[in-house]
Amino acid sequence: MVQRIREWIEIRTGISELVRSQLIGYMVPRNINIFYSLGIVAFVAYIIQAITGIFLLIYYAPHEDHAFKSIQLIMNTVPYGWLFRLMHVVGSNLMVAVVFLHMLSVFFLQAYKKPRELTWVIGALMSLITLTFCLSGYLLPWSQLSYWATTIVTTMPTAFPVIGDFFTKLLRGGEQVSGVTLNRFFAVHVAFLPPLMLILFGIHIFLVCRIGFSSPPFGKVIEERKEWKEFRPESYPDGHPFYPYFFSKEAFMIFLYFLAMFFIISFAPALFLPADANTPADPLNTPEHVRPEWYFLAPYQMFKLIPNKFLGIILQITLVILFILWPFFDRLKENNILKRPRLLVLFLGVLSLWAVLTIWGSY
Amino acid sequence: MKRRRFLKLLTSILGVSALSAFTYPILRFLTPLKAKGKGESIIIAKREIPIEGAKDLVIGGVPAVLINRKDKGYIILSKVCTHLGCLVKYDKEKLLLICPCHAGSFDLEGNVVSGPPPKSLEKFQFRIEGDNVRIG
Repeated sequence: MVQRIREWIEIRTGISELVRSQLIGYMVPRNINIFYSLGIVAFVAYIIQAITGIFLLIYYAPHEDHAFKSIQLIMNTVPYGWLFRLMHVVGSNLMVAVVFLHMLSVFFLQAYKKPRELTWVIGALMSLITLTFCLSGYLLPWSQLSYWATTIVTTMPTAFPVIGDFFTKLLRGGEQVSGVTLNRFFAVHVAFLPPLMLILFGIHIFLVCRIGFSSPPFGKVIEERKEWKEFRPESYPDGHPFYPYFFSKEAFMIFLYFLAMFFIISFAPALFLPADANTPADPLNTPEHVRPEWYFLAPYQMFKLIPNKFLGIILQITLVILFILWPFFDRLKENNILKRPRLLVLFLGVLSLWAVLTIWGSY
Repeated sequence: MKRRRFLKLLTSILGVSALSAFTYPILRFLTPLKAKGKGESIIIAKREIPIEGAKDLVIGGVPAVLINRKDKGYIILSKVCTHLGCLVKYDKEKLLLICPCHAGSFDLEGNVVSGPPPKSLEKFQFRIEGDNVRIG
């Protein structure tokens, strides 16, 4: 019976040919390492967010009078509501961590070099959208933490002369963060960002599949690098088959991701939900020590340290643009970062500065 | 058993177990919540409902009506029409419960008098305790 169903599907889809050519017959570099699987882990993380988000939508009420209560209902009354909410909350933080690690590893392995500049740019835009997802989702529980963190973030554009105030009002839908802001952020979170992310994801995957995997610049075998003068998919005839060789690495990393998620849910469920996240929003009372999430601490601390608000925001925008367009600034052909001490120092310096600002910002 | 076959089998068992572990939470999550007030008692003073008078109630999330019938005493009927779920209205003049959607009508026992409803209205249990009517 199973065999007949298989044959029926096979005749109509030719799926086994697809598996042979795209999975078993698709060769990856022999020295490919586990860091190359972070992209698929980020994708799985995004899918988990989408599924748990859809579940939460069943009970969540995007209204200033009901949002907080609906979250409490999900956490305390709905059977297993706590599980899906915690998966969404913990998952959002882990997703950002995985995206950061993916970008860092791509940078360290110099995988953004010609002909993969566009893949990097799309990936960088996707990481910005990931942060926008987190930012817009942060307000939705309508807690003290989410209300005041959003107030701070939406105040930042006022540093711009002339258009700043207008932009802030546009974001908030009024002078203050209110129910209108909640509706706007909800619409952005569930209706505007997901299709945008899917489009960029489609382009990203298309480019990865079309160009092929990059080979690590160090390791056991170093593939000969050729000059790219015309388009040609990168191939590794002597490499390992994608399935099962690289697939098992990906599966391992995905399991590791789930392990981290359920470890936090089981042993530190309040890690990302401090007391202010469990208090309803009070627009007339700012809690003490309002801080953004850990991934925004470094830019937040930088913003606090620079006395001129305008200069602070311009500097941050410049850094973001530099980050997105980095492959166009780094034109050297050498793709082993260990042979480029200045770039290595810059990489480690920026990473250390980020860590220092994050730790500093948390106090 | 070969190593590869063993690993495949192990992965399949673990994968299926992990996925099926989520089936129960998902089903429970999607199951409708217990209606507010279900299991709670409702007490209504008899004086609130004169003879041939009625009072609307919600019992366990279901809209209902308590009617004080002449000679036959109290009855509590669901207001949900058994045809397509519209809420029936008590007509004091005709002593009928009439559905505004498709003109189905019920007598004060909940039995179908006319129209498309396929069965009688649901009846709720109650007790008379002195001057009160207790439901639940």
